[in-house]
Amino acid sequence: MSNQLLIVGVNHQTAPVELRENLAPANGELPELGRRVTALQGVEEAVVLSTCNRVEIVACCSETLEEPATMHSKLAEELFRPTGLDAARFSECLFELEGREAVRHVFRVASSLDSMVVGEPQILGQLKEQFAAFEQTELSGPVLTRVFHKSFSVAKRVRTETGVASSAVSIASIATDLAKRIFETLEGRMVMLLGTGEMGELAARHLFAAGASQIMVANRTFESAVELAREFGGTPVPIDRMQSYLPLADLVVGAAGGGRVLDRQDVAKVMRERKGGPVFFIDLAVPRNFDDTINELENVYLYDIDDLSSVAQENRLDREREAVRGEAIIEDEVDRFWQWFEKLDVAPTISELRELADEIRVAELARTLPKLHATSDEDLARIDQMTRSMMKKLLHGPTVALKSPSTPAQERGMVSAVRELFGLGKRR
Amino acid sequence: MESTLLQITATAYLAAAALFVAPVVRPGTVSARIAPAVLALGFTLHTMAVLWRTIAVGTVPVTDFGEGLSFFAWLTAGSFLVLQRRTRLSAVGAVVGPLVFVLTLAAVLTYKHVENVPTLLQNPWLPVHVTLAFLGNAVFGLAFAVSVIYLVQERMLKSHRNAQMILRLPSLEQLDRLNYRCLAWGFPLLTLGIISGGVFAMHTSGRFWSWEPRELLSLLTWMLYAGLLQFRLTAGLRGRRAAALTIIGFGVLVASFLSVNLLPLAGRHGGGLGS
Repeated sequence: MSNQLLIVGVNHQTAPVELRENLAPANGELPELGRRVTALQGVEEAVVLSTCNRVEIVACCSETLEEPATMHSKLAEELFRPTGLDAARFSECLFELEGREAVRHVFRVASSLDSMVVGEPQILGQLKEQFAAFEQTELSGPVLTRVFHKSFSVAKRVRTETGVASSAVSIASIATDLAKRIFETLEGRMVMLLGTGEMGELAARHLFAAGASQIMVANRTFESAVELAREFGGTPVPIDRMQSYLPLADLVVGAAGGGRVLDRQDVAKVMRERKGGPVFFIDLAVPRNFDDTINELENVYLYDIDDLSSVAQENRLDREREAVRGEAIIEDEVDRFWQWFEKLDVAPTISELRELADEIRVAELARTLPKLHATSDEDLARIDQMTRSMMKKLLHGPTVALKSPSTPAQERGMVSAVRELFGLGKRR
Repeated sequence: MESTLLQITATAYLAAAALFVAPVVRPGTVSARIAPAVLALGFTLHTMAVLWRTIAVGTVPVTDFGEGLSFFAWLTAGSFLVLQRRTRLSAVGAVVGPLVFVLTLAAVLTYKHVENVPTLLQNPWLPVHVTLAFLGNAVFGLAFAVSVIYLVQERMLKSHRNAQMILRLPSLEQLDRLNYRCLAWGFPLLTLGIISGGVFAMHTSGRFWSWEPRELLSLLTWMLYAGLLQFRLTAGLRGRRAAALTIIGFGVLVASFLSVNLLPLAGRHGGGLGS
């Protein structure tokens, strides 16, 4: 009995967001879908992945029962069942994979090569969390457990050996990276945040995570400035007093609505008061908060949202180049996994076990026999026979257990355990 | 033998220069860790060459133009190796590497066999004077390299272009601090170099100062760096302007070194110390 790996799902490349959000089960319902899938005849193990970019069923089936195509459509039906939609009508939005392709897909997803933003770091965490639920409920068996655990280590390898995740692609993290090329460290640096909008807050959070420790928040509505400042342990500043506090700031984040807040003259005055320390102006607002000619002033570095976006675009291209190297690593790992997977059958396992035993027996005989004195050929034959029966008796139990017909899942568990215990496939 | 050693040294410096420049311009081509090792190899060979020459001439080997260039390159490479042990400075190496290579190549091209060294130069104050002055110059060489990278980084940050390269170069703050540290080390060395030169002159010609071209140019360089340091400390001269002035200062320093050696100017320093 041999196994078959299958995947059915929708992702950001195949299906529009309306369909993805319809199909995505609520967080607690993932194992429920998995249970319905394993209840199908022929399905041994199942794991369901659901993120904002994908909903996928990964299943391990016993091959003898159905053709892969039939199994695929059965899985798709289960995926669509809660929505009441007809899976067949959406067949163009579905992707179906089997065998090696399925393994490669899981590895690529974990390594963030299949993500909308290649190299984004969240996917691996989501995958680990969701898989843990299936491992606990034992919906995942020896095969899928191996697939997923392997995918986590592959993801780590791709991350460390290539640059897929090395360059920032979000506006806030790019602004932080650039800030660190002006200032050696952001520790002890003062941030002035103009406006309490989401973009500005996000940028401030990134700067704080990178070490900036003090913040002033200026806003037209003073109450919201107070609220946000409290959250960061910072100081709220009324918008009309903002100018007098500005010389204290090393980084100024513009995220206020209503356009221009600082003119060239304002900034020139601030720079004179600062006596030469550089200031990084980050203009995230549209319409922009700062006069764009301030970039010409000595020690002023101004980046607006377009400048940061074009860096993001550049870095995305860079990640895609690195992704090509990631694919090569994936290919290598799929090969290795597949070698293990193909041997996951009873017959080759038993014969490997016997080979192992005989190798040990022969090697030990060769070491010991020459040291025995005056043994007749008859005695040698007896010793040989004795070692044979010892090995045979020792292997009798495991062999019977491997052959005893049970469920395919138990069988795979057994094979995998025996291979692990005796170190099969790892020798040489 | 010693000239062959110098040629191999120049080759090693060329390789180090290429290995420093490559990862800055094109990331992923070579590891940034190789270049310092190759530079260190070149420096080791160079040390042997300098020692060899020291034994041959019987004093610190700056008795002709070629020796001077070689000695300058040797100290520059050495002080960069000391500096970069503490901070990751591949980008600065991309300037120091080529600089050291060009100096050494010039030394190879102007190489002369040891001639009779005038007894005048056997005075024990000569090594003190020369080592201090040249070490000061080498540290100013580093300040120059740091300042070049500062201006490149500044320009890129202002122009919003080449963000990938911006992220590979050191921060402005670090470069500015290094500029200051180099000046703060180089200036006292140069000062002591000039004073010990005066003492040496006292011993040999009986006069501390004789207004010859080399001395005047040294004084000019000294005043320039003194002003730079003074404005840094008291008037908040930093960043781009400080970097630009450091580059100009080094330009004057190199020009004065070349002019007294290549132009027919009279004096004890002209045409190398020996002639």
